[in-house]
Amino acid sequence: MIKMQNGKKILIFDDNEELLELCTIILEDMGCQIHTSTTTNNVEQQVTEYGPDLIFMDNWLPDVSGVEATQQIKANIDLKHIPVIYFSANNNVEELASEAGADDFLAKPFDISAMENIVRKYA
Amino acid sequence: MKNCDALVIGGSAGSLDVLLKVLPEIDLSINFPIIIVLHRKPGTDSLLTDLLKSRTKLTVKEVEEKESINDSTIYIAPSDYHLLIEKNHTFSLDNSEKVNYSRPAIDVVFQSAAEIYQEKLVCFLLSGSNDDGVMGLKVVKLSGGIAVIQNPKSAAVPYMPAQAELNVEIDEVLEINEMANYINQLSR
Repeated sequence: MIKMQNGKKILIFDDNEELLELCTIILEDMGCQIHTSTTTNNVEQQVTEYGPDLIFMDNWLPDVSGVEATQQIKANIDLKHIPVIYFSANNNVEELASEAGADDFLAKPFDISAMENIVRKYA
Repeated sequence: MKNCDALVIGGSAGSLDVLLKVLPEIDLSINFPIIIVLHRKPGTDSLLTDLLKSRTKLTVKEVEEKESINDSTIYIAPSDYHLLIEKNHTFSLDNSEKVNYSRPAIDVVFQSAAEIYQEKLVCFLLSGSNDDGVMGLKVVKLSGGIAVIQNPKSAAVPYMPAQAELNVEIDEVLEINEMANYINQLSR
């Protein structure tokens, strides 16, 4: 397996732990470092502490919604440069991503190559 | 004559890592199907199948209703259905009530496979946090099949194989690095 993204740090917010496990393995296969979180509480603090190169943000999260959490990241002058990829199984994922101010979106369910392509593009 | 007409692998929390380590070591020449049942929520099916595909050159596919069961193929039970094996060696998917809070339930597929494959069935129970699969392994043993568990002492989540060890006459207790070799010799 070719490691394309050596050492890139990726932060994933999602409350589906199985999806987090799968995404972690896929992104580690690419040579990335992964941190996952099931809560968007204190999202700015979490992003600041980990310092990711790329963020994946789920739409539905039990605390602060994905839209709101993304808006918080994008309103923070120190964090807004970090690309945020919005992912959701909602039909209107593109609309939600746009409302949130995310840089791109990934519609669930997605396959490995879709995730790899987006990481290569943004990380 | 081969020893095994089907291998069924059941697992829950901590099992994915086992499969990712074992699958690449399985011979392409195995002459039986491998049926994998993992507890999981809906929504990650295609990603799981994709990921397992990336670890082996054997055919890996998610089970479809009424599909024939072929040798040398790895079948993944889809989420949210119980998986049953029919007398004509096809799969059927059933959305009846959850068993052991799970659908697919490992007990259901072990019992269904035991009825069809009898003494030519090998079942593995891997890491997990509940006792789904234990009752099924008992039925496998009663039908003359072989019950194998991941060593609970080294499993990521020991409860499931530990309960099997307590309640079922287990034929083999394997470490992750012993599993592929065990599976490969079933073809002979």
